[in-house]
Amino acid sequence: MILAGVLTPLEDLLTWALTNLHDTVGLPWAWSIVALVVIVRMLLVPLTVRQIHSMQNLQAHAPEMKALQTKYKHDRQRMNQELMAFYKENQINPAASCLPIVAQIPVFIGLFFVLRGFEGEIFPKYQRAGESVGDLEWLNLVNIIDNTKVGWGPLLVVMYAISQLTSSYLMSTTMQPAQRALMLILPIAFIPFVLNFPAGLMLYWLTTNLWTTGQGLITRKLTPKKAPPPKKSSRTPPKNEVAQRADKPAEAKPAPAGPPRVKKVKRKKKGGARR
Amino acid sequence: MRFVGIALVHAWRQTFGRLTPEGTCKYHPSCSQYALDAFAKHGLVKGSAKAGWRLLRCNPWSHGGVDYA
Repeated sequence: MILAGVLTPLEDLLTWALTNLHDTVGLPWAWSIVALVVIVRMLLVPLTVRQIHSMQNLQAHAPEMKALQTKYKHDRQRMNQELMAFYKENQINPAASCLPIVAQIPVFIGLFFVLRGFEGEIFPKYQRAGESVGDLEWLNLVNIIDNTKVGWGPLLVVMYAISQLTSSYLMSTTMQPAQRALMLILPIAFIPFVLNFPAGLMLYWLTTNLWTTGQGLITRKLTPKKAPPPKKSSRTPPKNEVAQRADKPAEAKPAPAGPPRVKKVKRKKKGGARR
Repeated sequence: MRFVGIALVHAWRQTFGRLTPEGTCKYHPSCSQYALDAFAKHGLVKGSAKAGWRLLRCNPWSHGGVDYA
């Protein structure tokens, strides 16, 4: 109930945006959905780029920051000062928050409800005015209010699965093999759930995946991995050397720690030795 | 038991996690990776608590940074 209360204004806004994209801009409904995704994501581009940039700096300097944190473990104020200085020096902007990007999630859920209640929420307005609702087809293949089992819907599901796999594949390049394999299997496991979704929502999801994948590829190209060369020369104290070794692949440090643990857990479960 | 938590994180990654592209979190590792590590390390109950606290710490008034489970 609370969720519905929060989502109602958002649903109204989405309905308004969709109707305008359809009536004013003159797009068919299916392309209005695609356009809505593109607009939302375009608005978020500056923010995303800034965040990714800051994050890459953060990852590259993770071992050094970890060292700082351990060094001033018992003096929080000093630790914060040192960290802030470090941020400044390395152009890390941690004050930014992922919240605006997280705000897409209610939009996603809101659109789900709008598309599920499409007939009830959007059609009456046209029926009252005695107008036709307009084109509900996408490329003459699927009707956006049908679920994806109908007609060419499965084709859309296949496209969704491919887009999901592609973005998983790209997302997981820094992960450990076990986790990566799981990331690649899961999109297929999700298909049964997706079959009950309206095709319009699938279209939204597909567009989102394509956008995310494209954006990921572009940002990856534009920000080449910076190998920290100055650190390589200073290898006198052993402490530095440790930091440097951990530094090379920024991801490598947490990575090896993660999966073996998960594996261990699995073994425990199978053996039934503990709980 | 901790598999419940791990499964939930993966469900998140397959759905809404897609909306928050890689490398947009202010923390490193990302909250979902942190949660996975926390579940593996501390089990379901403490892991959830740690992961939940991490999510709450992702707000405009925190400094972000490196923070392993």
